[in-house]
Formats: sequence, C-alpha cells, structure tokens
Amino acid sequence: MASISLTQIEMPASPRTLKLVKRERLLVGAHILTAFFALMIGIFMGPFQAFHRSPTFVQYFPTIPVFSYYYQAVTAHGVMNALFFTTFFIIGFMYFVTERSLQRPLRFQQAAWVAYALMFVGLATMLAVLLLEPQRSAVLYTFYPPMIAPAPFYLGLVLLVLGSWIASAILFFTYRDWKREHQNERVPLAVFIMLVTFIMWDVATIGVAIEILFMLLPASLGLLRTVDPQLGRTLFWFFGHPLVYFWLLPAYVSWYTMLPKQAGGRLFSEPLARVAFIMFLLFSVPVGVHHQFSDPGISASSKGLQAFLTLVVSIPSFMTAFNVGAALESAGRNNGAKGLIDWVWKQRWSDPVVAAQLFGMLNFIAGGFSGIINASSQLNATVHNTSWVPAHFHQTLGSAVTLTYISVLYWMLPAIRGRALFSKRMAVAQSVTWFIGMTLFGLAMGEAGLQGAPRRSITSTAPYVTESMRFWLDLTAVSGVILLISAILLYVNIFGTLFLSKQPAPEGEVPITTKSADTTSPLWFERWGIWLGVLALLLLMAYGPVFAETLDFQYGWNIQRYVPSSNAPMP
Amino acid sequence: MEINRIERYWLLAVTTVLGAFAAATIVALAFFGIRLPSPVDRIDPRNLEQTEFARPGIRQLSGNRYEAYIVAKSWAFEAGPGLGNPPTLRFPVGSEVTFYVTSVDVMHGFQIEDHTANLELVPGQIARTTVRFNRPGKYSIICNHYCGAGHHVMYATIQVE
Repeated sequence: MASISLTQIEMPASPRTLKLVKRERLLVGAHILTAFFALMIGIFMGPFQAFHRSPTFVQYFPTIPVFSYYYQAVTAHGVMNALFFTTFFIIGFMYFVTERSLQRPLRFQQAAWVAYALMFVGLATMLAVLLLEPQRSAVLYTFYPPMIAPAPFYLGLVLLVLGSWIASAILFFTYRDWKREHQNERVPLAVFIMLVTFIMWDVATIGVAIEILFMLLPASLGLLRTVDPQLGRTLFWFFGHPLVYFWLLPAYVSWYTMLPKQAGGRLFSEPLARVAFIMFLLFSVPVGVHHQFSDPGISASSKGLQAFLTLVVSIPSFMTAFNVGAALESAGRNNGAKGLIDWVWKQRWSDPVVAAQLFGMLNFIAGGFSGIINASSQLNATVHNTSWVPAHFHQTLGSAVTLTYISVLYWMLPAIRGRALFSKRMAVAQSVTWFIGMTLFGLAMGEAGLQGAPRRSITSTAPYVTESMRFWLDLTAVSGVILLISAILLYVNIFGTLFLSKQPAPEGEVPITTKSADTTSPLWFERWGIWLGVLALLLLMAYGPVFAETLDFQYGWNIQRYVPSSNAPMP
Repeated sequence: MEINRIERYWLLAVTTVLGAFAAATIVALAFFGIRLPSPVDRIDPRNLEQTEFARPGIRQLSGNRYEAYIVAKSWAFEAGPGLGNPPTLRFPVGSEVTFYVTSVDVMHGFQIEDHTANLELVPGQIARTTVRFNRPGKYSIICNHYCGAGHHVMYATIQVE
C-alpha cells in the first residue's frame, strides 16, 4: 500500500463537481450499485408479504407467486433491506462525502477494495443460503437463538461486519491525517456526522460480533451444544438499536448538509447540529433494552432506566426537526412564501432530489411519534410484537431513510454512469407513490396491530384473526400494490439510466462543504476520547446490571441450564 | 456558543413533552399497576419434571384468584388435559389470573387479545404476568413471536363467563 503516494491519486477538479474521476466512479459506484442490487431483491418481497397477510387476497389468489414460503420472504426482506442495502450504501456514500469534504483521497485505497470484496462475498453467501435452504435459513433478520440457521447465514453477516470495520478504519485514518494538518479547524459537518456514525457502529457491532462468533456460528457448526437465548437477545439488541441510528445518521448528512442547498435555503444552526450528533453518539447505544420490555430475564428497573434514556435520545431528533425545518422555511421564503406556514408547500417539489427527502420527512413525523409511544414502556405492552412495530419502522427506516438514500441515488447515479437520469418525472412519481403507500401501510399495519394482529405471521390463514383485524390486513395489501408500483418506477429509472439514457449527465454541483461555516462551537467537540469515555460510563450504568442478570452470576453462570441449540423446526 | 432564542423555547417545549411521557410511565406504574415483566426464575427446559410445569393447568388459589401454568412448544400452548386442542381456559368474570409461562424449544410469544398481557417466552426463563378479566367474552392467546413454519396457527382461547 505504501507504494502509491497519496499525492499521485487522481482527485476531481473541484470538490463540488458532479463529474466523478474514474477512481470515484468505480469505488463509490460499486458500493451504491451493489446496495441497490440488494434492495432490489428485498424490496419486491415486501408487497408480496402484504398480500400474503391479507385474508381476502389469499381467498382469491391462494398461491402467492413470488417466494411462496412467507417466512423465507420475511427473512430475505429484512436481511437484504436492513443489513446489506444499508451497509453498502452508507459506506459508499460516506467514502464520497469524506473524500470530497476533506479534499483528500481515502487512506489505504486498496483496503477499501478488500473491504468491498469481503462484503460482496458476504452478500453472495447470504443469497445462496437463503435460496438453497429456504426452510432452515428462515430465522428472520433478528436470528434469535436457540433457532439456529445453517452456518453460511452467519458467515455472510460476519463478512459484512468485517468489511464495515475495515471501511470505518479507512475513514478514521483519513480524518486523522486531515486533522493533523488542520488542528485549529472544525471538520465539515458532514464528516463530523460520518465520524459519529462509524464510532457508534463500531461500538455497537461488538455485541452482535460476540453473539455470532461465540454463540451462533459455533452452535451452527455443531461445536457448541448449548446457547442462552436471553443472553443472545440482549447481545443482539445491544447492536440492534444503534443499528437504526447507523441507518438514520447518513440520511441526516443529506438533510443537514445537502438539502438546505438543494432546496434553496440555508442551515439554521451548525453548532447546535454538532450538539445533536454528540447526543446521538452518547445515547443511541445504552437503550437497546427498550426492544426487550417484554423479556422475562431482565429486571423492570433496568428496563425503566433504558426507557428514560430512550426519551433522551429523541431530543436530538427533535433538534433536527427544528434545525432542518428552519432551513426549509428559509428555502420556502426564498421561493416567495410570505405567510405563517405556506413555506411548507412552497418547495421544489418537481425536483426528485428534494421531493424524495421532503416526503421521507413527512413519514418521519409519524415514525418519530410512534417511536416515542413504543419507548413508553407501559404503552409498549399493548403493541409489542404486533404489526404496529413494522408500521413504525417503515415510517422511519422504510421511508425517511430509504427515500433519502433514493434521493442521493437520483443525483449520484447520473454522475456514476455519466448519463442523465432516465426520467425526472418518473422519479417524482416514485417519491409520491412511496409516500402514499407508506402512509397507508403505516395506518393499516398500525391499526391491525392495535387490534392484536401479530407481526411476522401468515395472518391470512391464522385462526385467531378477527373481523376488525381483517379489514386492516386487507388494507395493508392495498398499500402493497401502491408500493409495488413505486418500486417498479424506481428500478425502471435505475435500469433506464444505466442502459437507455442517451443524454450526457448534467453539469452540476454536489452540495459539499469543504470548510465549516461554524466558528463558535468548541474545538473539544472533536476530542473523541472524551465521548468514548462518557459512552463507556453510560454503557456500564445502563448495561452493567442487564448483563449481570442475563449471565446470572448467582447461579454460577448457570451453564447446566442452557438450552440445546435446535434447528428451525420443519413443518 | 450561542443558542437562538426560538430554539431555546423549542428545546424547553420538547423537554416538557418528554417529561410528560416519562411522568405518564411512572403514573402507569404507580397508580394503574402496569408493570413490566421482571425475572421470576430460571428453569431447565429439558427437565420440567420437578417443576410446576410438569402438570400445566389452572389452579384456584382463593375466591377469584387463579394461577395458570402454561408450556409453550412448537406450535401449541399446553394448559393441561381436558381443555381441548387448541385449549380453552375458562374463568369467571372478575377473575384475577397470574400466568406462568415457559417455552421448551424456541422463542415464543404470549399475548392476550384486548388485555395488557404481552410476554416474550425465552427458553430457560419463566415469564409471569397478572391479568384481571372483567368483561365476559372469548379472547385469543396469540403466539406473537416467530417460532417456525407453524407460527401462525399457534394459539389458545380464554373464555370469560
């Protein structure tokens, strides 16, 4: 690696040009296209699950054409969309943002390709096991023990996480080099968010890495006869909640640092944005137990503490709503808005890059409030494991995050391909149908959940489905039709841009900031050691008691009571 | 570092709303008795012989108070002999029932329709919840945690009369 000097690496003429140099096109392009390949597999299973859950639909169409084994489809939908699509996209997008903002190539260029190769082999391994072992690999994307999938399932995940760790190291070293030359400068906000994202990710993945490497993979290979399901769940959610912020924060990179310019306004307060992201770093990890409010093996006091911390982690999202909202107000005023709220609709709705993000934000309002409901432990008891939960995270991950990633694709794909977007109008139509579909999906799934319909279940043939559930389950299938149309519009546009578009890519600018406009936030915000120390203390406080009771020291680790690992039961 | 006046108001409003949510949680705990599951005991799922779960079923404690021991296994709730398949558990109106539930194979769920009872059944752990049945009717006990190919047919019924 030392053979290539960094100064010899080709950089674009300007950090803001939409013209990518070949090296960028290959590396960033490979990540983004692989991400949308993974999404293509996952996304099309979504609507068919909605059909499969609808009693009326199944009455008229008893055989579901695509992935007829429902639980295989749920597994693939979750694994591809939530794990592979997001990780590939985030790494590609963050490589691009970091190189351009810091105006220097990534350290260790070849290592970036090694990381990509590992993740790609992980993706191929996962797809192979999902296709060849549909029954035994149907452990869903949460893969709780003692249900154990074939070993390649875990191997695929190990390779994905390993690749992401290498990518994070590359990004950290690139930042460190920059910082050495700019000791008294604040790093551009986009890179600040990137650092928070990957520090959080590296801390969180320790949980799932321990779970997979010391419990699930050995159990799957037959080396381990026993696993503790309560400990496995706790390790998973140590990772599982920060995982959602790993998805969300790169979308915030676009909302905070790109959307204000794309919409024609300016960000309200950059220093306060940094405060918000430090809060994300500190409070997004010690809250995983709020996914385990109904678990028998964790005491109510530990749950109460993490419920409180969950409410704290919603503060930076409220700060985001204010800050980004104010940026959009300034954009609306520039577009001629005069009244109290007319800036809300005086936006550039005909620009798919702006429209996709705005629609995502509208869904995020419902997603945020339903999230606070879930965090309130007593309300969670009425919605836990019902279809209310997927209703919630399809407003957040499924819409706010995904539509924002799609908006990035709408400007980045033409730059990668060197051709104009196949159809702008189709892209706007895609955003609109996505918003309508997800809103209806959230309403129908949420209501079905309040009536008691469980998530992840073939409710079309379940004997306990009541008339009131039935209506909302059928309505979910209607939202599935709308979302299927939206997904088709997305992929026609992608393939159209790749293979049919004849127009050259537009000359334009990417909203990249190379010098922070922030001159007031304290420089010690970038003393990452401090934050890691505070985070470690918070984790000790929030998770210390939880691991003590799941490991059950008073019974001397309780080995003899561990549960035999069993394969996913066959029908 | 300056914080804008309007933004200060916003932060104050947000903190107040979240404080209200936190207060609601405490009120629910203190006055409505909505409690989250807490550890009862561990159990060896391969060996229920020496435990109450060896004979699943309903025990009347006194008057309107009952205990119900239920074993979850793929893909049924076992609540003792003579209750049918899937079982129907009968309680008089006004009963207060404490459910003790455990799983002997994979993760299962335990949710009672129209009542605040929602448990994760983790193999190796005993889950407990107390429910008061004030309205006559038929309520399903739904397995709401994915447990394999027969997950969606795993249920039982509670008849309150």
